[in-house]
Amino acid sequence: MADALHVEPEALGKRRKRLSSTLILFLALVGMIAAFSVLSKDFYSFLNISTMLTNISFSGIVAGTLTMILITGGLDISIGGNIALTSCLAAYLFNLENPVPGWALIPIALALGAAIGAFNGLFITRLDLNPIITTLGTMAVTRGLGYVLTKSRSILIMEDVTGFIGRTVIPGIQIPVPLVLLVITYVLLFFLLGRSKFGRKVYCIGANQAAARVSGIRVNSVKFTLYLISGITASVSGLILTGQTAVGMPQHANGVELDVITAVLLGGTALSGGKGDILGTLAGVLILGVLYNGFTMIGFRYVHIRVFQGILLILIVALYELRDKKKT
Amino acid sequence: MSEVLRLRKRSIGEILLYGKSMLPALGLLLLILVLFFGFSTKNFFTLGTFKAIISNIPIIAIVSVGMTFVLLIGGLDLSVGSILGFTAVNVVLFHDVLEKAGVPLGWIPALVVLCSLVLGVIFGTINGLIITRVGINPVITTLGMMAFARGLSSWFALGFEILKTGRITDQKFLNMARTYLPSAKVAIIPITLIYIVILYAIAIIVLRYTRYGRNVYAVGANEYAARLAGIDVRKIKFVSYIISGAMASLAGVILVAQLSLGRDDAGIGNEMEVITAVVLGGVSMAGGKGNLFGVIIAVLILGVIRNGMVQLQQAIGLSYYWREVVKGLILILAISIDAARIMATKKRQRVRQ
Repeated sequence: MADALHVEPEALGKRRKRLSSTLILFLALVGMIAAFSVLSKDFYSFLNISTMLTNISFSGIVAGTLTMILITGGLDISIGGNIALTSCLAAYLFNLENPVPGWALIPIALALGAAIGAFNGLFITRLDLNPIITTLGTMAVTRGLGYVLTKSRSILIMEDVTGFIGRTVIPGIQIPVPLVLLVITYVLLFFLLGRSKFGRKVYCIGANQAAARVSGIRVNSVKFTLYLISGITASVSGLILTGQTAVGMPQHANGVELDVITAVLLGGTALSGGKGDILGTLAGVLILGVLYNGFTMIGFRYVHIRVFQGILLILIVALYELRDKKKT
Repeated sequence: MSEVLRLRKRSIGEILLYGKSMLPALGLLLLILVLFFGFSTKNFFTLGTFKAIISNIPIIAIVSVGMTFVLLIGGLDLSVGSILGFTAVNVVLFHDVLEKAGVPLGWIPALVVLCSLVLGVIFGTINGLIITRVGINPVITTLGMMAFARGLSSWFALGFEILKTGRITDQKFLNMARTYLPSAKVAIIPITLIYIVILYAIAIIVLRYTRYGRNVYAVGANEYAARLAGIDVRKIKFVSYIISGAMASLAGVILVAQLSLGRDDAGIGNEMEVITAVVLGGVSMAGGKGNLFGVIIAVLILGVIRNGMVQLQQAIGLSYYWREVVKGLILILAISIDAARIMATKKRQRVRQ
């Protein structure tokens, strides 16, 4: 443990550098908002900004937890399936002969997310499985269970609970509930990753897993906790999406993995682990949200944006790689 | 130590863990599944079932060849499903253009296949260049390519008037995947089975007996050692991604011929099924280990499950949608076995030292 303490000044220096690159991202964000405001009359309006923020909150929440997983060198692509299954479960529970009381959905959904996360975590830590392939399998399992629960239909959900989580705007301050959830998640994650002992362990594992293990960090238990948190936040996102769309269907959040991974990598988190922070990811999520919304406002279609997003993902990683090469 | 082990009779678990090849275990699993579905449903042991299974597997079988080459060098290709989809959309376009250009009908199928292969090679080249020259992680590169190619196919499908329906009615072209041997009257063997046999034979020969094939194993087993031995590691990797792209495109053509339809949503989720097949077939995620004999048995296993579950729904009413769940669980099971084998080998080496 003493060794880990010894590294601290250097790590602090790194954090200052990180902050500056996060600053660049936020400046880019402001620039984009300005550009789109000029290009489209309707972009810079309260209604549009509010809609945009509501739209990014469900993918934003999972991006936060994925950041921590990426820092340890892992990956979780089962989040989309998890979100879809949550919405299908809600549809199933509310359409039983004896429908579940509305508020009971929240603990059930969170328990489901925790179970999926624990499943991922167990296989990845205990059996030392490749996280990409494991969570690819979990994605198929969860989406498949969604198909089983809904028999591949889209089921309307008009409950107060999901409506509240997904669509309500808090009167007086005019802030939508999903946005409140997003902010709460990011504040919690910011302190968990940036200011807590647990967060230090996460960085330590990412920088050098063997060294972390030797210095007494219980690597498996930290990783397990991360996948558990990822599962829980994914089900929160699932509840939000269910509320926003008012439907439960197994095709929900198809391809959300790509959005989320792009946002996290854009925020400066390295795939190889050990680098990244929550503020960077927040910037990444906001930039992607503004890009999607802005390009739609000036007349591009979803498919066009999808093409650019693929290129963007590769470009981002290439740029960060280039920068790191220059430094060393 | 090794003599003691050799003298003892080995249990099934030991064969699974230490056996050089997964083939016996896979064969056993296939047999068990066939017997299970055979006795739990009424019509499983029929020629119809055999034909249905064989006509269902070519897509997965063909793409699996490419994925095997990529996994063997320790890489991963998530873009195969999207490349397949983009090819499927373009097959209709190629066909239409060739027909309007006045190319004799007999030539069209071959030319369409050729054009599609070029398309796949282009995608594979881009993947390979980014991964080997720019040095970006294969997962991210192919994830980006997955979005790019899928977006592009939707773009094409929305943009070109003739692609709106995506239909092909040219019988000569459709016969490419719909002919049965030995004759139209005694239709027993689907021609797609012949394609698969030829393709696997070629790929097996390439992997076993050519210099490139040996180098693929060398790079996958130990990249550093391979470089020291004078192997052009980047070139070997590059070619593997090209093969993967070409195979995905080839599967796209066959799919269009089977369905007489080339739509932009073709091949969604294909990468998962293919990775399942290849890993289940004993190709290690760590690279350098496995062969195509295992892969083809794994493809058959997936085909049997797919068809068996349809019949199970008719027999006992089990929802067909459990199929996806079963596929996911098999994938996790497959990599668990792979991981257990790697761990067992390491432990053994440690004991010997």
